Amino acid sequence: MRVIQICLLFLLGTLAVRAQVPSCDCFVKGVVRDQHTAQPIPGALVLVVGQNKAVTSDEKGRYELSGLCPGHYQLECRIVGYQSIREDIDLSAGHEENFSLAEEEIHLKDIEITAHRTDAPLLMPVEVLSGSDLAQTRGQSLAESLKGLTGVTTLQTGASIAKPVIHGLHSNRVLIMNNGVRQEGQQWGSEHAPEIDPFVATRLSVVKGAAGVRYGSDAVGGVILVEPEELPIDKPLSGELNLVGFSNGRQGITSGTLQGGVKGWAGVGWRAQGTLKRGGNVRTPNYYLDNTGIQEKNFSLAAGYRHQGFGVDLFYSRFDTQLGVFSGSHIGSVTDLLNVIEQGEPLIKSGFSYEINRPFQDVSHNLGKMEAHYHFPDGNRLQWVSSWQYNQRGEYDLHRPRNDSLAALNRPELSFRLTTFTNEFLWDHKPLAQKFSGQIGISNLYQYNLMQGRPLIPNFDQWSLGVFAIERLVHNGWELEAGLRYDYRHLTTYRVVNRQKITDVFAFRNASGTLGAGRALGDHLSLRLNLGTAWRAPNVSELFSDGVHHGAAAYERGDASLRPEQAFNSIGSIQYSRPSLTVELGAYYNYLRRYIYLKPQPEPILTVRGAFPFFQYTQTDASFRGVDASLNWKPTARLAWISKLSYLRVYDERNNAYLVQIPSNRWENQLRYEVPQAGGWQQLFVSVGNLWVGEQRRVPVNSDFAPPPPAYALWNVQLGGTLPMGEKNDLEVGLTVHNVFDTVYRDYLNRFRYYADEIGRNISLRVKWKFGA
Amino acid sequence: MKMNQKLSWVLMLGATVLFSQCKNADNPEPEDPNELITTVRLHFTQQGTTTPVSFAWRDPDGEGGNPPTQFDAITLKANTTYTLEIELLDESKTPIEEITQEIEEKKEEHLFVFTTSPTGLLTYTYGDQDARGLPVGLTGTTRTGNAGTGTFKVQLRHQAPVGGVAVKDGTPGPGSDDVNLTFNLTVQ
Repeated sequence: MRVIQICLLFLLGTLAVRAQVPSCDCFVKGVVRDQHTAQPIPGALVLVVGQNKAVTSDEKGRYELSGLCPGHYQLECRIVGYQSIREDIDLSAGHEENFSLAEEEIHLKDIEITAHRTDAPLLMPVEVLSGSDLAQTRGQSLAESLKGLTGVTTLQTGASIAKPVIHGLHSNRVLIMNNGVRQEGQQWGSEHAPEIDPFVATRLSVVKGAAGVRYGSDAVGGVILVEPEELPIDKPLSGELNLVGFSNGRQGITSGTLQGGVKGWAGVGWRAQGTLKRGGNVRTPNYYLDNTGIQEKNFSLAAGYRHQGFGVDLFYSRFDTQLGVFSGSHIGSVTDLLNVIEQGEPLIKSGFSYEINRPFQDVSHNLGKMEAHYHFPDGNRLQWVSSWQYNQRGEYDLHRPRNDSLAALNRPELSFRLTTFTNEFLWDHKPLAQKFSGQIGISNLYQYNLMQGRPLIPNFDQWSLGVFAIERLVHNGWELEAGLRYDYRHLTTYRVVNRQKITDVFAFRNASGTLGAGRALGDHLSLRLNLGTAWRAPNVSELFSDGVHHGAAAYERGDASLRPEQAFNSIGSIQYSRPSLTVELGAYYNYLRRYIYLKPQPEPILTVRGAFPFFQYTQTDASFRGVDASLNWKPTARLAWISKLSYLRVYDERNNAYLVQIPSNRWENQLRYEVPQAGGWQQLFVSVGNLWVGEQRRVPVNSDFAPPPPAYALWNVQLGGTLPMGEKNDLEVGLTVHNVFDTVYRDYLNRFRYYADEIGRNISLRVKWKFGA
Repeated sequence: MKMNQKLSWVLMLGATVLFSQCKNADNPEPEDPNELITTVRLHFTQQGTTTPVSFAWRDPDGEGGNPPTQFDAITLKANTTYTLEIELLDESKTPIEEITQEIEEKKEEHLFVFTTSPTGLLTYTYGDQDARGLPVGLTGTTRTGNAGTGTFKVQLRHQAPVGGVAVKDGTPGPGSDDVNLTFNLTVQ
């Protein structure tokens, strides 16, 4: 758990070039610091790529690399617990020609390298979305923002509700760490989107694979880290304002941030951030989708204090959304569903409107967090993170109650209120022999859920306790990591059945482990292999569901005897990296023991709305095999070809069959042309991209009302640039056209694929004004 | 509210597990399915008589739990005219809730649809209307054909206004099923 917090490794280097061409006695020196605490970091490896030169920082964080010839170099800094960073330094002759020899024999230049302390196991593949890549997704939901990453797709309910899917796993099998705290919302539902405003983060990372040791339960498919920037302690006032408009749905988003230190109060920093979003009915190429509007009001506040190795941060965020659910998706009976499928398009059509009517979801999520840490002078470190979360979810059905007095109350037909408290204590021991580093942690969670309305899941309260240790070794070009964890969870559910209260008690125990190795072969090639396990206790809906799932037209029944799922994941990757070419190839094999899924039953269930296909939550053993590949090739300095491929194959090993709801294979290609400077603009780019998504042919026979939709290909175009408006004052503008040709298509992982097409062309304009930083 | 109290708890106690904080979860509220229909009764009264013959579908504990307890086969005389009245109940509630009355009050957004297979076995004529002159189907007239066997499907279409605009147009198309039951029918 050492990696829980987000702090920046700050490499403040001073680069000295002795311009005695052509002799090779230039040197680079500096200090490696942790920005969070400004404490020097001993034992960091600083190397010059391609020069076979490396040094380790001393006990005061200092390093010096000498004997360098003038030229173009990459400087790399690596330290256990932090992501390795690379920075280009240009010591070219051309550069030096600009120096006046009379000026000085030694030219001094500050280079700042910022690296992010990783919250992820070192040897697992992590995909990061930040900077300009993140800027291009602004205005989209969390899941939509992430789906450009290899191996990440979405599970959708219409156009407005999207959940992230990592290597074919989603919902409670993907853990979201929101600013260092487990997001505890209502993620068990496939139509429950993550309750997070992506504008809170300046960095979104996806850890692919089972990471149960560090994060505890639910990190079966992977982990999503939503990380804000480090607080601007003692910095001047800065901020940004984002304006985003989407043509489809006529959606407008505005988000602003203000942050800074406080004059006269040394060691203090603060940040305030807020987002407003409003959108109306979205349009497929041929018709509007009725009642698909969205409304969001989010804000977050943060403040922190640092003093001599001690630090404390307070954070509060509120996410509040209202989401219209496409009214054509309310299904009374199987006949209703078959009629819509046969029709080929929704029976209800409408024009454009911002109004949100029934059915809709009203969701809010509050997070309060306190983090405190202390760096002992000898290098040990202690951290405590405590959080409170309150999630409120109301679902309003299409029909109000028939009874007038009940209808007048306008209550949600389903209401969940989930309260969660978590605590985590972490101890990072000081580096031993400049090789070993490690972390011991203990975390607990207590939560309770209050449920009202239509029977769906019971009330419950649960608490859990986890203890773990991770140790890492960097030696002779090897990086090794090993960890163990033990979890205990106690769940009590309370139901009313036939007017009688029934209490059930469950206890789940699990041990998890992880083992990883990484090896650099030469300067450009590196190999990584990680073996990890993770677990997930069955959630209350899997234990106790009993009723018709409207929208899916299926009768779903839980099973209180389900046991926890366990994932055994192996993931290996090869990375070849040069400035003009980066290739990454990753392969994984994830074996899920006691995988919980809905198994079709032979006999339908008869209800007043007719017979419904009957599905029972059952366990099997499933294998998830896949390959993620990516390529970034720059044939010239301005042109780049980016290609990403995701391949996944899932099999039910116990029943020798395929499983439902597995994302199909996809291949994305992009050509990008960059112009560093033109007119008053900087970093201009234009790109053309194509996304090809295959047809999912690996589905169980006779398990669905309609076959998976055919393959589709979408084109998109992006252009953007930065307009400097003064010192530390920039305007970034981006224009994106998604689905340029207004292609009609449906996606297998959209639950509304029975009812309607996906949304058509969508033109978005993004403007970001950034000042003071 | 209770929340502030809890927040202070957590700040004070740190890692301590808060066993004592779960007092509301163990008090579940009774389930509240507002739309539940547990019982559908069809009352056929032969013209010129006053005593109906009744056929029912019953699932007293609602969806899930125990299977339906009653699903009658309909038996009628050939070439005879009957009035047909529908009765809907929610027997899971105490006292038993009369859904028929609620449909009557909301008839602008409800429509019963009766489908016979084969079609000649029984024909149905609506006997009631809503305020806009559209049929409802709580009462009507049926005329049986020659002896034979088949099915009689009873659907209650809930055609609630969409965005404040009425969608009921007298056809089964709009809305969704509240009832969809296919009774076996014998005409003898």
